[in-house]
Amino acid sequence: MTIQCMADLEFGLEFGPWIPDTALESASSAANAVGWTNSARFSNHEGARKEGHPGALVPGILGMGFLCALIHREIPTARIENIDTVFRAPLLADQHCSVAAVITNIDAAQLTAELDLHIRNVAGETRIFGTATIRMPR
Amino acid sequence: MVDVDELKAKYLHLEFARSNFVVSAENSATLARLAGETRLQYTEPGHPDFEIFPAYLASLSAGRHLPIDFPSLGGIPVDGGKAVTSILPVPAGVPLKGRTHLHDIYAKSGRSGRMVFLVSRMEISDLADTLLALADSRMVIRERGTA
Repeated sequence: MTIQCMADLEFGLEFGPWIPDTALESASSAANAVGWTNSARFSNHEGARKEGHPGALVPGILGMGFLCALIHREIPTARIENIDTVFRAPLLADQHCSVAAVITNIDAAQLTAELDLHIRNVAGETRIFGTATIRMPR
Repeated sequence: MVDVDELKAKYLHLEFARSNFVVSAENSATLARLAGETRLQYTEPGHPDFEIFPAYLASLSAGRHLPIDFPSLGGIPVDGGKAVTSILPVPAGVPLKGRTHLHDIYAKSGRSGRMVFLVSRMEISDLADTLLALADSRMVIRERGTA
């Protein structure tokens, strides 16, 4: 079902899991796009290990981007008014992760809804979680 | 152990940094496309309603920005998370202003010691001082000597 308006939303409605692109090249390009070019942590597994990381990382803001993208993919008419993410543990480049969300509150009068968000790695461990508030058309 | 209430009294809500910047539409669109975004207003710089991708706004508040006289807590700050509040669409390619203050300071204690959380907030506005968005960056510092 494509969600278009407030009446299409239901408490507990789940979205995902969706598998985003976590390839090293994408992580590196994302870091470059925001000007984070002076560290190997996003561009090179070996260099990242030398910096003390378990491998090259997916930038946290790309993780936030995955969550924004999931919302827009599943609820094309939603406008994200607020998104708050907690970087619980690093997302590693070249390792799959899954992105999911669930509606936790609906305010029909205000035309808003709240979602819980999370990104899990292949072991099922939550790496990033958060919440979002979206505004919907009537 | 640092007194969090003292830090709050001294530093909360005091602007400590100002910046002027222009966001490249192509850079924001690149990040949106890499994230798998499907909405054209974020991925196509030529779209009539193009605006900066929320996750790109989050990057603007990145960095270990603290007031210059903020005391050392001992540990190395790590990026604990980001938040973005959208008030109005943020345009690319035009001058914007960022004003940053510490929005929240709190601590959590665990078995391995106490963690101090510092939330810095950048208020993003246009040159007419119309507030467009808020970008929060949450830094986490493990206090030394409290384990």
